[in-house]
Amino acid sequence: MSNIVEIDNVMKTYDLGEGIKVKVLRGVDLKIEKGEFVTIQGPSGSGKTTLLNVIGGLDKPTSGKIIIDGTDITPLNEKELARFRREKIGFIFQAYNLVPLLTALENVELPMFFAQKLSDKEIRERAVELLKLVGLEKRMNHKPTQLSGGEQQRVAIARALANEPAIILGDEPTGNIDRAMGQKVIRLIQDLNETLNQTFIVATHDPAVAKASKRALYIVDGKVVEKPPKEYVEAPTEKLTRERRQLLLAELGWLKTSLTYLKEKKTEMDPQRYRRTFLGYKMQLERIKRIIKKYHALESEKN
Amino acid sequence: MASMTFIAFKMAYRSITRRKFRSALTTLGVIIGISTIVSLMTLGYGMHSQVKTTLNEMLGAGIIISSKSGGVNIPERVQSSIQQVPGVNQTVPVITTMTYIKNEPVMTIGINPEKASKLYHVKISKGRGMNQGEDDCAVFGETTAATLGIDINDTVMLSTQMGGVGKKFKVVGFLTAIGAGELKIGCFITLKAAQQLLNREGYVSDLLITLNDPSQGEYVENVLRNMFPNANVVRQEELMKQIDRIMNIINGVLVALGSVSLAVGGLGILNTVMMSVHERRREIGMLKAVGAERWHVLFLFLSEALIISLIGGAIGCGVGLGGVYLIQWFVSILGLKISVPLMIAPHVLIEGMLVALAIGLLAGVFPSWQASNVPPVEALRYE
Repeated sequence: MSNIVEIDNVMKTYDLGEGIKVKVLRGVDLKIEKGEFVTIQGPSGSGKTTLLNVIGGLDKPTSGKIIIDGTDITPLNEKELARFRREKIGFIFQAYNLVPLLTALENVELPMFFAQKLSDKEIRERAVELLKLVGLEKRMNHKPTQLSGGEQQRVAIARALANEPAIILGDEPTGNIDRAMGQKVIRLIQDLNETLNQTFIVATHDPAVAKASKRALYIVDGKVVEKPPKEYVEAPTEKLTRERRQLLLAELGWLKTSLTYLKEKKTEMDPQRYRRTFLGYKMQLERIKRIIKKYHALESEKN
Repeated sequence: MASMTFIAFKMAYRSITRRKFRSALTTLGVIIGISTIVSLMTLGYGMHSQVKTTLNEMLGAGIIISSKSGGVNIPERVQSSIQQVPGVNQTVPVITTMTYIKNEPVMTIGINPEKASKLYHVKISKGRGMNQGEDDCAVFGETTAATLGIDINDTVMLSTQMGGVGKKFKVVGFLTAIGAGELKIGCFITLKAAQQLLNREGYVSDLLITLNDPSQGEYVENVLRNMFPNANVVRQEELMKQIDRIMNIINGVLVALGSVSLAVGGLGILNTVMMSVHERRREIGMLKAVGAERWHVLFLFLSEALIISLIGGAIGCGVGLGGVYLIQWFVSILGLKISVPLMIAPHVLIEGMLVALAIGLLAGVFPSWQASNVPPVEALRYE
């Protein structure tokens, strides 16, 4: 099997000025075969995003070689990189990054417009196909703001698939969505990986994503390693202090009370406003639950 | 390409309509600028054509001979020698003078009635024209008559000085407007009557000469200059050219004034598009991440500037024309005796749109270029 990604001793140093330099990638070696589903884990600031940036041609490494689908991308200029990105790479972002002005369908069409490989009619047909593939054919003409987080992420996945890329890069694709929706997105990635033999490289904090992948990698000290370092398994990235936990629980309690109160007032309120407020509370609730889960603090919530 | 253009305009349009208030304010800036220019230019061209038509109507002549002092001191009899010059068709002696009726200044022409009809393109709108020898009759321009409040068969007193005692004339007819604005001719009397009024019998102020062939104008002019070295010999064509020159200067000044407000409109666009770029950095990064090149992004934001400027331009053209009516109305409210000409020249509107387009491009280029410089990594920045 051929390697679709070959990374050889890649370094990336950020110059923050005033003589301060941050070495984020310190000699990454990585080979990924076509059809793999790879996750890269590591704490915030460990260089996951930087690694994705250089693989996806969004940023250039300070040194080293990156060969994607047979092409060395390190010497490419800006225009060539743009072309490389639209032909070889699909992106899925944590914040979905759909164009808010365009409908789901138009968002999926966009990369194909840039690529100019298909006629307008073919572009439309393919975009519809792709939205069907991610199960959103009924939401085609909705704007991103009218879609849930999970739905937006599925549109983003359809968009990433548009130009039949060699690799799809995901940066925390489940980071902004609740667990159930996250599961759906993970399943979708798994399905696309299996049925289309689509290569995925996903940076994530989410153990569920890592578990679903075929190969879980870690970034430690600016290098990619196969085995998780001890502390990843043992402890969360930050320590949950007593005060922090109390604060979270207090917020949780307050939100629950507010939700109950809101439900009582439902009949008196403008339905749209009710829906909005309800969703707002719900989202905050989910966020806090996520944080608590992340801190392995679910038991204390049950008590 | 076509589809790219389409989607770019679609995005630009939605971006504009999403921030309705801000876009409206920006468009207002362009509207003010363009409407100022359009109304000033319309006024300018209106005045220009007013002067031109007036000259054409008044000076059906090819060449005018007048005394250098501007007085009535050209002997009437010289016309027979002018008539000898080859190329001269007719020589019409006239007296052009300012008289006062009811203490109002009225431009008055003394001319032989049968010659007047050949020289001036006018029609009797009421009453009748003068006949040869009716030295106590006068014909008025209808607007002048209306201003002075006189009617057919009235007797009016024409005097050479304000408040002075003059000569009585009977009003026999009105003419359709002749000339326009400040150059309006108010009153016609016979040449003889004018000479009597001014006490200058046998003398005239101008000789109007018509030509057989306009191309001979320069030749005839030279001959006449040699014959009358002490008089002003002016060819109408020359006069037109001079007036054109002056008018162009006036127009230039007006347009320069309008440009100031237009610059403000341009700054508005600049600001709006810069804000839009600033707010949408991550979106731009994402566009680049999914494969947009610099020019795609540039084009996207430039379309935004262009849409605003073209909408502003179109509305501005309309408002500008409306503005001319407004000025007319304002002048009439103030009771000023200035007639504001209105002439809608299509080329003014086209120029207005072109200027709007240019402003949009000019103001849009910088922020669009900034947008095209946003690095693709912006897409993955969350803070």
